[in-house]
Amino acid sequence: MVDRRDFLKSLAALGGLGLSGAWGRAVAEALAADALPALRGDLTVYLGRGEGGLYKRIVEAIRERSPELALEIRRGSSSGLANTLVAEARHGGARADLFWSIDASSLGHVADEGLARPVPARLHEPLPEAFRLEAFVPISGRVRSIAYNPGRVRAEALPERIMELPDTDLKVGWAPSYGACQSFLTAMRLLEGEAATREWLRAIREQSRAYAGELGAVMAAAQGEVDLALANHYYTLRLKQGQPDIPLELAFTRGDAGALINTAGAALLSDSAVAADFVRYLHSREVQRFLAEQAYEIPLVEGVEPPAGAPAIARLEPPELDLTRLGDLQPTLALMREAGVL
Amino acid sequence: MSRGLPLVYGLSALGAAAVLLPLGVLLALGLGSDVALGGQVPAIALNTLLLTGLTVAGAILLGVPLALLTAYTDLPGRGLWTALLAAPLAVPSYLGAFAYFAATGAGGELSALTGLPVPNVDGLAGAAWVMTLYTYPFVFLATRAGLRNLDATALDAARTLGMPLPTALVRVVLPRVRNSVAAGALLVALYTLSDFGTPAIMRLDTFTRAIFVEYNAFGLERAALLSLGLLGLVAVVLLLEWLVGTTREQPGRTPRLHLGRTGRAAALVGVALVLLATLGMPLGVFTLGVLREGSGGLDPLLLLRSVSASGLAAAAAVLLALPVAYTATRGRVGRLLERVTYVGFGVPGIVLGTALVVVGLTLDFLYQSLALLVLGYVVRFLSLAVGNIRAPLERAEQGLVGAARSLGAAPGEAFRRVTLPLILPGLLAAGALVFLEVMRELPATLLLRPTGFETLATHLWQVYEAGAFGRAALPALLLVVVSGAAVALMLRREQGAAER
Repeated sequence: MVDRRDFLKSLAALGGLGLSGAWGRAVAEALAADALPALRGDLTVYLGRGEGGLYKRIVEAIRERSPELALEIRRGSSSGLANTLVAEARHGGARADLFWSIDASSLGHVADEGLARPVPARLHEPLPEAFRLEAFVPISGRVRSIAYNPGRVRAEALPERIMELPDTDLKVGWAPSYGACQSFLTAMRLLEGEAATREWLRAIREQSRAYAGELGAVMAAAQGEVDLALANHYYTLRLKQGQPDIPLELAFTRGDAGALINTAGAALLSDSAVAADFVRYLHSREVQRFLAEQAYEIPLVEGVEPPAGAPAIARLEPPELDLTRLGDLQPTLALMREAGVL
Repeated sequence: MSRGLPLVYGLSALGAAAVLLPLGVLLALGLGSDVALGGQVPAIALNTLLLTGLTVAGAILLGVPLALLTAYTDLPGRGLWTALLAAPLAVPSYLGAFAYFAATGAGGELSALTGLPVPNVDGLAGAAWVMTLYTYPFVFLATRAGLRNLDATALDAARTLGMPLPTALVRVVLPRVRNSVAAGALLVALYTLSDFGTPAIMRLDTFTRAIFVEYNAFGLERAALLSLGLLGLVAVVLLLEWLVGTTREQPGRTPRLHLGRTGRAAALVGVALVLLATLGMPLGVFTLGVLREGSGGLDPLLLLRSVSASGLAAAAAVLLALPVAYTATRGRVGRLLERVTYVGFGVPGIVLGTALVVVGLTLDFLYQSLALLVLGYVVRFLSLAVGNIRAPLERAEQGLVGAARSLGAAPGEAFRRVTLPLILPGLLAAGALVFLEVMRELPATLLLRPTGFETLATHLWQVYEAGAFGRAALPALLLVVVSGAAVALMLRREQGAAER
């Protein structure tokens, strides 16, 4: 565990680590936080989730560096805050400058409601082409994965395409009422169409066990209750950190919703320049490295290594999809209800 | 009729209106939409009803004997056991449920620890088990308060006439506290109807789970519509409790029962088992987390904020509950106003919070203020206070108050010198209940609190969501200890009040 003081020190230090070109050459390299100006003025950030206080430590480090910044942080569930932002806008009570959230669907929903300002070009610079979006700025990646129990299923027996999962007789653990799973199914609906998704859902229903959350599903795979779990990648890494011998491995499908790279990101809600500068801190090398090492999230900027045990990003084959569209959840829920999985 | 009465009715109506306010928002949202609910509703309603019925039965079976034990017997350390037995009310049920989820089943912590096969705790049975463990204190506390107000004479007479103790307890004592038991059971039922965490983790499809799914998918209209369906069940439960009726009798000397050596040992083992299942289980699972991941420290401000918000809410709820409970003893209108306050406890916190966000935004000065948060708590938990105050008030108001008035006491003086001392234990119990519930409340807290206002419950949620159980252990332990201490404090005052 890196404690807070170490982290502050690393944020203060001029980082000079070698750069490995995981994201391709066209991308500007991550800035060291020291190269960024100290922030000043008023800033209200709504923070959806926050990974057990890890994001809070980032916020504290930025506060420490910017004594003239009056920063208010409001935390809640990502969807809860998105609902709140929409209610505030409808009743004329908008007060947030920035919505920093752990999933793209809440950011997409806020954008669909017309609350997000267009992202200025300078915030696009450190990001790979695929993540230069109009409506929000991706911060870190969260990859869909198959968390399987190697004691129950061999890696070769896993399907390469998520749509082939029903052709196997593998027992699947998943969390259909969980936001991350619904984002994944929204991606499937957009990529494969409604009919194919409905068929997939109906088939999976017969070979699956539903859990409340994806952590529960991954734990069930480790306990042998199911053969594999469909979940974001970091649950497995976090469990392995606490219990290195736990029977869990990660696998990824190719070029489809099963390998979706969902992101945590930030939507600008006001014209505040401080808000945009705050986002530049989130792209700094120190913050990106901290997110990778502590939260097991995939760094999106050049020059920062992925977390230990995470996929070598270059080997991943995510589908081509505008993440903003993940906010359109209701048609996905309708399909899930039709298929009887919700 | 005194001149103060219209004022009391006015205050009582204010309490009811505060509860109805968010419901109005909900109705506008749900009925204004053109969405259909689909065929899932009957199955969801059945699951919800089954879970509620089983939990109520479990809570009575657990809560009533424990109340008898701590109210009447010479069990050593009664005060401590009472406080600890009430403390599960401060454990967020999602933490309890998750502890059982992680500990049981093939490959769970228990079977890893003992090498024995441990069955999975999940589904309807699992949800009812966990809900029982974290709601029985409602029955326990209400029944205990009722028991302490009974006069020993009837029990002594029955014993003198040769009736064995167990028979005497069942036939002479318990019927006289049946409205206390029913009041506790009502709270259990409403809590069960409105809780989200436990059915979700135990994989049981209930109204709250469906509501939560819609809320998370930005389908607020559908969530509101489902909430109205849930309110139908709440109305049924309220009606059922109304049918139990009330008993009326004078307070007097508390009976005292001697357990004997074997009885004491058996009682202590029983109490220990209950505490192990309710507090030991989650604390054990989280301690394993500490060993694996480290504890990560804790900000003392979290505790301070939790305690101050809970204290404020408890005081406000008790103050507003007094007129509501008083009018409830005076006639039909009052009873109706009282019933209305219970609706707040049957609505899931997330629904209530969402509605109050709209209320706050409409009255801009309230939005994201501590006042709105406290208002939210009062709306949600007012009935907890009302339920604990009504029964003792009923007993005090007949006879003794009339006697005081006929001896020349003004209404104010009669209240201060006769009613208040008699209902003080009830007031304290009411405050304690609201305090405990606010300590663990999460969904409405997240939505309504001032920006940056982190509490123990919100902190717990964050680390839990991140799967960092090590960091959940310390705040969870603190929550239990502080809540236990608060209950112990109030029970000490209760003892003092009873002896004065």
